[in-house]
Amino acid sequence: MNNLDLEPVICGEGINFAFGQGELRKQILFDVDIRIQPGEIVLLTGPSGSGKTTLLTLIAGLRTLQEGKLNVLGHSLYNASQRDLLALRRKIGFIFQAHNLLPYLTALQNVQVMFDLQPDVSPHEGRERAVEMLKVVGLGERMNYPVSRLSGGQKQRVAIARALVGGPQIVLADEPTAALDGTSGREVVNLLQGLAREQNRPILMVTHDARVLDIADRIIEMQDGRLISASETNQPSPHDTTKGASDERHVSPVTV
Amino acid sequence: MSQRIPLSWLQLKHEKMKLFAAVSGVMVSVVLMWMQLGLMKALFASAVVFHGSLDGELVVIHSQYEHLLHSKPFSSRLLYRLRGSPDVEEVFSIFLAPVEWKNPWNGEMRSMQCYGIETDKPSLDLPGFAAQLGKLRETDAFLYDRMARPRFGDVVGANNRAETIEPEINRRKMLLSGIIDLGASFGVDGNILVSHANFLRLFPERKSGAIDVGVVKLKPGVSIDSAQKEFQDMLGKEVHVLTREQFKEVELVYWRSATPIGIIFTAGTAVGFFIGFIVVYQILYTDVSNHLPHYATMKAMGFSNGYLYGLVLEQSAQLAIMGFIPGTAVAALLYAGLRSVTQLPLVLEPTRGLFLGILTILMCMISGMLAVRKLAAADPADVF
Repeated sequence: MNNLDLEPVICGEGINFAFGQGELRKQILFDVDIRIQPGEIVLLTGPSGSGKTTLLTLIAGLRTLQEGKLNVLGHSLYNASQRDLLALRRKIGFIFQAHNLLPYLTALQNVQVMFDLQPDVSPHEGRERAVEMLKVVGLGERMNYPVSRLSGGQKQRVAIARALVGGPQIVLADEPTAALDGTSGREVVNLLQGLAREQNRPILMVTHDARVLDIADRIIEMQDGRLISASETNQPSPHDTTKGASDERHVSPVTV
Repeated sequence: MSQRIPLSWLQLKHEKMKLFAAVSGVMVSVVLMWMQLGLMKALFASAVVFHGSLDGELVVIHSQYEHLLHSKPFSSRLLYRLRGSPDVEEVFSIFLAPVEWKNPWNGEMRSMQCYGIETDKPSLDLPGFAAQLGKLRETDAFLYDRMARPRFGDVVGANNRAETIEPEINRRKMLLSGIIDLGASFGVDGNILVSHANFLRLFPERKSGAIDVGVVKLKPGVSIDSAQKEFQDMLGKEVHVLTREQFKEVELVYWRSATPIGIIFTAGTAVGFFIGFIVVYQILYTDVSNHLPHYATMKAMGFSNGYLYGLVLEQSAQLAIMGFIPGTAVAALLYAGLRSVTQLPLVLEPTRGLFLGILTILMCMISGMLAVRKLAAADPADVF
């Protein structure tokens, strides 16, 4: 099965975006086209100010689309209502640069709270699933720690558990390794890649980190608001059996 | 079974000092409101203890009667005409006048309220009164108010020790024969009860045929309203025939207009309300501001504004409850303390508790709703 035949999860054409008005208007994105297929892991790289993050926030439904077509998970984002954008965001797993966990909660509570977005999941089931997810990311022993007592890498793994526990249809990550040292960063992206592959979940990750580029199926590079190249590091299909060598790193759970 | 995560509470208790400050603020506010409303109610209630104790459904007073301390006597013959009515069981007459009390210990002169009552039958419904009626028939005997202010001397204590107390009242040596519960109020620091005959001994200038208050006890089953109308027509314009509640109201109307008590205590209650409101608003506002990045994150992840508003309003309700309970406990202690000092009938009434509880929740909710506006500043696009 070739994923290119499937409906893309993200499909954008001719996206232009600018901040400010009149004299102060500064255009950030110029005629950007982007397509991401189901199960694809795509990295978005490029220098600071190249518009990567702006593109990510547009895709996430966090900013209003000004010009162009953008369809994410079946939601057309041009003139989308707040209600529609909220519904879209609930289908996305978010991973932030600074983990953005709620400091007054334990690791488990941070993950479990996501089920407040899914009223059909009972608190009991939500808890079970949160526990399972934390075991998968290797934090089974530290579930009841307040997040302040976890290391940077552990916090980011809680954030991954939080992003994935609700079964999102796509994962958007913004520099998830930027605040981590090389080893922790590596562990985090391996974990993310492994889980994405397992569940055939697409990932769009903004990153500067040259050390993690190898996890991608495809790398999109941006410069000055334009896509300048799209290189394919691996085969387009995430199920391709030729990637056996890298699969060893996808084993979960990670041991601490 | 697991519960939903009590997010609002976990966030609230995360910063213990702030929680303590907020709860203290609500508590102070609750105590203030209890005190203000309680004192107002007690002061007004204390002014009509005598009125409430009258053992009859209707009251006859002179049309120019103003209040207990400013009565105008009318002819007792008017009242006694009602004895002829088939609806009437009994009529009683009462004399009223302030007396000069000389403190038996230090000789200080103080004014007290004196009631001259009939001693054949009890006309007042006060605990222990009927049993002491016989003693009042003796010459120069009087009953002393247990709740009179201490400045009159420790009369109750002396009575308990069975000492003989013969104070000078209106420069006449009188004999203490018992204690009765009546209570002090605005204009009255204490009361004494005497017989008609002894009242006339204290006030030689008063005539036995000119009474201050007439009490009419109706036969069982008689309509109070129609009897009131009938008697008013019968007695003419010189007197007013009132129900007991209307008689109370005459007293209360006077004290409401003559003193700013209602305004003062209502303003005091409002001050209490605003103290709580400002404290809770400040705490919640800074709390929302401090947590803006977290709220922005939650918005980005798909939590709705309504969910986040709910969190802040839940915190408002939590603060209200946590402040109200200890605040009420403190008010109960203060009530007990003030009751023993002022002899005012201060009680934690459940209805007032309910009213104040609602007021406290309202206060916290309004603060919360104002603080919640700050949430709009949490832009989910800022989290990346």
